[in-house]
Amino acid sequence: MAARPLVSVFSLTGDKSGEATLPAVMTAPLRPDIVQFVHTNMNKNNRQAYAVSIRAGKQVSASSWGTGRAVARIPRVGGGGTSRSGQGAFGNMCRGGRMFNPTKTWRKWHKKINTTQKRYAVASALAATAVPALVMARGHRVDEVPEIPLVLDNAVESTKKTSVAKDILAAVGALADVEKAADSKQIRSGKGKMRNRRYTLRRGPLIIYSNNDGVEQAFRNLPGVELCNVDRLNLLQLAPGGHMGRFCIWSKSALEALDTIYGEDGKRIPAVPMVNA
Amino acid sequence: MVQCSDALVWELTKNNTSFMRKVNGKTKRSGTVRFSVEKGNVKNISSYKYSGLANSKTVDVSATDDNRAALSTKSSKASTQPSKGQPVTPLNKSFRRVEKTITSQVADNNYRPDLKADALARYSAIYAGNRVAKGVKKSVPVKKGRGKAE
Repeated sequence: MAARPLVSVFSLTGDKSGEATLPAVMTAPLRPDIVQFVHTNMNKNNRQAYAVSIRAGKQVSASSWGTGRAVARIPRVGGGGTSRSGQGAFGNMCRGGRMFNPTKTWRKWHKKINTTQKRYAVASALAATAVPALVMARGHRVDEVPEIPLVLDNAVESTKKTSVAKDILAAVGALADVEKAADSKQIRSGKGKMRNRRYTLRRGPLIIYSNNDGVEQAFRNLPGVELCNVDRLNLLQLAPGGHMGRFCIWSKSALEALDTIYGEDGKRIPAVPMVNA
Repeated sequence: MVQCSDALVWELTKNNTSFMRKVNGKTKRSGTVRFSVEKGNVKNISSYKYSGLANSKTVDVSATDDNRAALSTKSSKASTQPSKGQPVTPLNKSFRRVEKTITSQVADNNYRPDLKADALARYSAIYAGNRVAKGVKKSVPVKKGRGKAE
């Protein structure tokens, strides 16, 4: 790619306070298919196993009555004196029988994904966070943001109080997205609400820093806001739902660190397959 | 700024955006219409020509809070700066003068001449709505159809 453009760095009061070069990763090819594939598989990696009991439906001593008694040949519960006697047992079609193909805990719950594919997806997702159209298409309210990608001074990493954090976001135009998340809190529809997943919330901005000097604790209580260290970027946060274009707020050192992480000595940036003549 | 061409953005957003609304398509007789309600889409239709996200030059006429209209376009210089990238022209004069403003901003300077008719149509609709909202014109009550067993 040609000379890389400059990105403005903003101070915590919203004024422009410097410039940084756009990292090379932001010019990686945008590949929604790879991002979606890697995301669906990565999403399966924190699943907990479920299965029916191994003895479910089998704890009966039932045997078939054979032919000649004008009943179907399914095994039937023996004995007498209760309505259960004579009922069909064992089959998946029987009431109280074991299910077809009982679920087992040794199902392959986690998915292995090639490392190159995972890195490609993260690079693509990072590139998408720098395109305002994609961030808006994903649903983030970024109309008031002065620039995308949004880079703040390193002082943001030393914020200690949430009230200060909220003021910073307001000064920089990012509060609209946080408010969207806050307004969207609803009780989940479906059984998840009784299974410790009571509320659903939209995702707000993702704040990426390189040094945690209080950022995590200052920003984490704001609804929808997520935090990420630049060394450990997570595709599930960069492309929630498999859709590229999360609204990311960078600290200056985090943005500059990207050039080291994805550079000659670091991870390879995917090559663009076609360049316009 | 990342070099993301209009066509590429369209390919990435044509199937799902948060602004897309799909209507009908539930019976064999009706087809799905895809609307797209982002700012910058003058007909609110989901297609490359009208997309407010994919095009680097867009035209939109919207109603403002005090029952007036405003024309907004996209500036090519400020494509990565959402707060500055949409210069807004207020449309407060008489209908005929506004019509001239819209034509000059959209077609005569060759900004998006293909959207001239749509921009004017949208302004007409907003103008009519504003007049009802201001009380100048009364809205026509919906007539009850014949043969509806209520």
